[in-house]
Amino acid sequence: MSRTRILDLVKTQCRIFSLNFNPQRLRLGNKILRQRLRGPALSAWYPKKTVSFRDLQNTYKPLGLTTFDEAEDDREEAIQIAKLRGKGRPKKKRTAAESKSAKKKR
Amino acid sequence: MSKMASMFRPKKLDLSGFVNTRLIRDHNKRNAFEQTEPERQALRYMIRNTSLPQRVRAQAQLQLSQMHAYTRPTQIKNRCVASGTARAVFRDFRINRFQFRMQALAGELPGVKKASW
Amino acid sequence: MADPWVVVVESRGPAEGGQVSPHLSNPQKTHTKQTMRRQSLTMFANATRSLLGAGKHLRVPLSIRSLSSPSQLNAPETKAAPQANPTSAPEATATSERLGALGENARLPRSVQAVYLRPLRRKAEYGLPVCDLQLRSYSVENVEFFADFAIRAAYYLDLPVSGPVPLPRIVERWTVPRSNFVHKKSQENFERITLRRLIQIKDGNPQAVQAWLAFLRKHAFYGVGMKANVWEHESLDVSKSMDQSAPEIQKSLEPHLAQFGQRKDNSAGNNIFDILDSDRFAERKNV
Repeated sequence: MSRTRILDLVKTQCRIFSLNFNPQRLRLGNKILRQRLRGPALSAWYPKKTVSFRDLQNTYKPLGLTTFDEAEDDREEAIQIAKLRGKGRPKKKRTAAESKSAKKKR
Repeated sequence: MSKMASMFRPKKLDLSGFVNTRLIRDHNKRNAFEQTEPERQALRYMIRNTSLPQRVRAQAQLQLSQMHAYTRPTQIKNRCVASGTARAVFRDFRINRFQFRMQALAGELPGVKKASW
Repeated sequence: MADPWVVVVESRGPAEGGQVSPHLSNPQKTHTKQTMRRQSLTMFANATRSLLGAGKHLRVPLSIRSLSSPSQLNAPETKAAPQANPTSAPEATATSERLGALGENARLPRSVQAVYLRPLRRKAEYGLPVCDLQLRSYSVENVEFFADFAIRAAYYLDLPVSGPVPLPRIVERWTVPRSNFVHKKSQENFERITLRRLIQIKDGNPQAVQAWLAFLRKHAFYGVGMKANVWEHESLDVSKSMDQSAPEIQKSLEPHLAQFGQRKDNSAGNNIFDILDSDRFAERKNV
């Protein structure tokens, strides 16, 4: 069979199956288009946000229902104790001058 | 506008479980990559396509290199979902080797048992 | 939910008065067996006969007659009956005797009897594979039980089955240091072994295969994963049948395709600048 006939055959084949007809083997970068997108798989690595206890609280409070979050209560109690012992968090410095003076004292 | 990483930061944290700064940063990079991936692929295609004019290809190269670093897939690093560690993270479980051991011993990983042969 | 014809059979062995035909498999083997019994019962709701009209659970020694030879049973029964429940109260003995007698006279439904035997199979006429179902699990009991269940379900759906074929196990091993930091000399090994079973359906009706898969999904068993490859076969004149079905498909697509394209009344004289300058567009742009 002649070369031209084979080329014709390949050309028709490419047309039917919507492939790239490239007899000169030029670098057309087609392999980039064939790659599948990796983004969705990559961005699903970390667990997405789910419903937290606070969300429940926010939904139930307008209905007049009370909720108890023991872990949160414990945390607040610990902060209170730390404050009473004088070990609470320092006051937020709002201006540049305040923060400077604090540094100087030290 | 300059290239600020903050533009990839969501207004509200959309993660649950263990969270630290580096983990959030990596998550932002993943999201940035997901959003810009078609654009990146298009530019990559133009760069590789030798049938396009040289000028177009050079421009595409420039554009690709000027995209924000966060949109680059090489910036993404698999971190442990349970502890945020970036080393010795199993892809199968998405956790660090030590977390793996603890969870396996606690029986939290289905089918994983202590082996001896 | 309550199915009145569910009969829980509990055989306590010959010492307590019940007897099992020797060639039947041991009916009090596992709890899982009972779950499955119920499944097969559900399929034969209309074909079952209840032993007790109202009794939902019949927890007495009951004899199960073999499918073929009821005469086999009589010999051990006469020996076992006098020793029945030597310690229990007389009332209980009376009840159990009464019910035991009932069990001898009444026969369990065939579909229930079949549960104690090896799964029945249809014979494949052509042997053309239609569906490959792979079951995966980390535990042998689960995968074995579910494979058995799948084969029984296929029998009642008139599907010829081959299998379960035990495929090679997938063994994954990991070695990790025991400590969270350095100390590489002390390590620990972990492994995960995935067990696989292959069930192949041969020359079944595609719809029956789909029904079978749906049934298995509905009654999916814990800790067992399923993966199915389904092949559909067409006759040689596919193109003809496709041509025949084409107008029907076109008709069903019409409401969807009607949403595409430009409205004829809209195209009159509007060019792009009119749209861009319009107030409505400007409003949108500012938002």
